[in-house]
Amino acid sequence: MADQYGVGIGWRPEIDGFVAELPGLRFAEVVAESVHAHGDLPAGLSRLLDRGVTVIPHGVRLSLGGAEPVDPERVRHLAAVAGRLNAPLVSEHIAFVRAGGIEAGHLLPLPRSREAVDAVVANVKRAQAELPVPIALEPIAALFDWPDDELTEADFLTEILDRTGAGLLLDIANVYANARNRGDDPLELLDKLPLDRVAYVHVAGGDEHDGLYHDTHTHATPQPVLDLVAELCRRHRPPALMLERDGDYPPAAELRTELDAIAAASGYPAIT
Amino acid sequence: MSDLAARQAELVEALTAGKPVPAGFDGFRVEAARVALLRKRAGEVSRQWPMLAASFGERWKREFGGWAAARPTQGSLRDGWDMARDLHSRGLLHGPAAEELAEREARLRYNGNATPRPRRTPALRSAAGAVVVQFAGRVRVIRRPT
Repeated sequence: MADQYGVGIGWRPEIDGFVAELPGLRFAEVVAESVHAHGDLPAGLSRLLDRGVTVIPHGVRLSLGGAEPVDPERVRHLAAVAGRLNAPLVSEHIAFVRAGGIEAGHLLPLPRSREAVDAVVANVKRAQAELPVPIALEPIAALFDWPDDELTEADFLTEILDRTGAGLLLDIANVYANARNRGDDPLELLDKLPLDRVAYVHVAGGDEHDGLYHDTHTHATPQPVLDLVAELCRRHRPPALMLERDGDYPPAAELRTELDAIAAASGYPAIT
Repeated sequence: MSDLAARQAELVEALTAGKPVPAGFDGFRVEAARVALLRKRAGEVSRQWPMLAASFGERWKREFGGWAAARPTQGSLRDGWDMARDLHSRGLLHGPAAEELAEREARLRYNGNATPRPRRTPALRSAAGAVVVQFAGRVRVIRRPT
């Protein structure tokens, strides 16, 4: 995305009214699978589009990291939703969500192996052949790693981006979660990623259970994640950063505070 | 099947179907992911089946987690439906949760294996203290006087 969109938010039906009233909003994201390809759009989403807000469809069920070829029907749906929203790009995850005919119900990590890189690249290329706009790929937060990782996270991601030409949807909360759970330095990963390829950024909150940090999207964004936003923007400020909230929605005042904190950390104007 | 496909399938079975954690993985962490996944599913089902979830109060996530531990998700609508039917068949579904199930049964046809579809014919279902009538897609709950 060439434009500077500033701070945005993930549109969800539960916070429709709140999102509609954000005066400075220019950028939002919607879960692609929640949008009908041909039926009516939710009224709140239509109003955002009428206002000129850019809305990106964010897929969560393509399973681009699955060893099996991506389901063409799911790609067609994502393509149709991109068309309906007149979106400049779509996004999905570097993850798999089903295998052997069973749905995991969640985004699962891939081994950082050559075989997995080949599988992702093949599926991203299959999707790109059908999509009307570019795709940005999001690395996930994983509570566990595979035992046979051959590549570092940065090399794994960079190779996938290089071979597909895809953009990077960088989830800064995932960077934080993974580094904290692996005992790594998140800045080291930021320094190795191709930050000029970042299409936009996710920011979210999480919670600790039994010594592991869970990227829940149902808690407030913690200060260390906001600090990472500032570190990222100091290195290369992305065109857009958005808050992801997926449940336990707090009062509007708290959501506004979080959006303002992201604006302050990134140096973009407040949208509230 | 490729090596990656087989190993992904093994991992999904460990996380959703009560199968052992594949060799080499950190068992504590995979278990943490399995429990987190069940908590997330419980949250999703509670949005589709608010009365079912409310009938367990604070115990909802734990109860759902126990029920769903070896049942991979079929989507939150069907997961809640299957659990409600299971409880109903054991005489454990009461009050608003029973009414919620009766209302769904009257509105939609669900064979337990595929996506529920709207009923084309009128339907009548009874639940604890209420009768649910569906005619031409409109659903009415008639409560017995107490």
